[in-house]
Amino acid sequence: MTLKELVKKVLFLEILKGMALTFKMMCTRAVTIQYPKQRRRIYAGFRGRHAFVRDAKTDKEKCIACMRCANICPSQCIYIAKKKRPEDGKLYLAQYDIEALRCIYCGYCVETCPVCALVLTEDYEYSAYTKQELYFTKEKLLANWDEFASKQKEETYFNKFWRPDGIDSSKMPKAKREQGPVPTRPVVVSEPESSPEKNEKKETD
Amino acid sequence: MNFNEIFGAFGLQSTSFLFQLLIVLVKIAVVVAITMLHVAYATYFERKIIGHMQVRVGPMRVGPHGLLQPIADGVKLFFKEDVIPSNADRTVFKIAPLVAVFATLSSLAVIPFFDTFYIANINVGILYLFAMSSLGAYSLIMSGWASNSKYSFLGGLRSTAQVVSYEIAMAFSLVSIMLMAGSMNLIEIVQAQQQYWYGMYLIPQFVAYVVFMIAAFAETNRTPFDLPEAESELVAGYFVEYSGMRFALFFLGEYIGMIVMSSLAVVCFWGGWTAPPILIELIPPLAMVPGIVWFLLKVYFHIFLFYWVRATVPRYRYDKLMALGWKILIPVALVNLTITSIVKFIF
Repeated sequence: MTLKELVKKVLFLEILKGMALTFKMMCTRAVTIQYPKQRRRIYAGFRGRHAFVRDAKTDKEKCIACMRCANICPSQCIYIAKKKRPEDGKLYLAQYDIEALRCIYCGYCVETCPVCALVLTEDYEYSAYTKQELYFTKEKLLANWDEFASKQKEETYFNKFWRPDGIDSSKMPKAKREQGPVPTRPVVVSEPESSPEKNEKKETD
Repeated sequence: MNFNEIFGAFGLQSTSFLFQLLIVLVKIAVVVAITMLHVAYATYFERKIIGHMQVRVGPMRVGPHGLLQPIADGVKLFFKEDVIPSNADRTVFKIAPLVAVFATLSSLAVIPFFDTFYIANINVGILYLFAMSSLGAYSLIMSGWASNSKYSFLGGLRSTAQVVSYEIAMAFSLVSIMLMAGSMNLIEIVQAQQQYWYGMYLIPQFVAYVVFMIAAFAETNRTPFDLPEAESELVAGYFVEYSGMRFALFFLGEYIGMIVMSSLAVVCFWGGWTAPPILIELIPPLAMVPGIVWFLLKVYFHIFLFYWVRATVPRYRYDKLMALGWKILIPVALVNLTITSIVKFIF
């Protein structure tokens, strides 16, 4: 043991250094976020509760039942059923379920959707007592959107994953390429006189 | 004072035995009540201070800034189920926590809080404190043995070895104080420190102070010497099997022990309830400050030191703990004692 080491040991230099650090830290502000009272800022690209964007024109989901999300889903938690419409023989979306408890929130479904119908919203407080409540049907997904959109401060919303970075947009489907921000407020479709009632109705939905 | 008139009405004279007994009982009640309050808020401030040192906030929910947390904890512990393991030695199991509290609470009897307030003024104050602090070790051994659990047993064994080995270093460091003061009476020790302009033995006996503080950490089973209750190895050590009120009693014992050790350090090294004479000379109004304020300030600093070290230093390995006690602290304390005796003999 050299003299320097001996002096270090006798004077507890290392322990004193550590104590100086803890004292310095005591004088800094705590980083704790008092959760129910304070909330953390949500950054763009946060992947939370699933929702179907409510289309301004049809007032319904935009899904075209192309099955891409169901195919790409790593945990296979999306179930889609399509049916033929008897009048014209076209396929339409009959059932669309997401089992949120199995979802890993990778966001592939949002990235792959050719019409930007699906979105992982910024809601993260949706714990429930039963599994059924976290089994999102088509109607529940639309309701999720309404809930999320009503909480948005901006008039429009655009999800980062609708046009993921690093992918040549010329290779994307046309609807995806041209997708702009979607409105977060209920939009008047027709008959401007009846608009106030309609707005109220949608919000209470 | 018109004590005589008041108590005379009840047929009591200030010199009578009953009157003296009454005074002592009132003093005991005051000291115990204040100590209990201190223990409650010592737990609160421990959580707060360590929390802030770890850049957290500590308890925040019960009352403003969590100020009512100790009361909530107390109520919870009081109403918790009291579980006794089926194979435990029931009598010893029940006595052990009482011994822990008794040993530390009775240590408070000789501590002079300020010049006119102490429960007992005995000539062997330091010796009495040593006896009581070693008595506390019995509670650890008893609880460890009576619980009939391997964790408790190991915790009990560890504490026995630890307390026995650190007591020696502690005693030697205080023997040099006794030599300096020429007395084992705690009040006389405080008064003897007034001969210096800085009013404390801390400076001439700095080595003894360091040895004493390290031994005090070991005696009270606080980090970095909390091997008897090492959470990561022994779950909670000797009180694994305790719950509810009995668990609370162990906690009480530990915190009162901390207060007693801090008070002892203040009385023996920091000049007790007195302020440094130089300070009073420089700022005369400070002479108006009552002694209890100085005493409490010094005690709070030591309690803060306990928390501060806990937030900084990790737990020692067991063989290192023993090596530190026997190979370093005891020789250092002995050398310090020898030098003190020589200096005292020459001058």
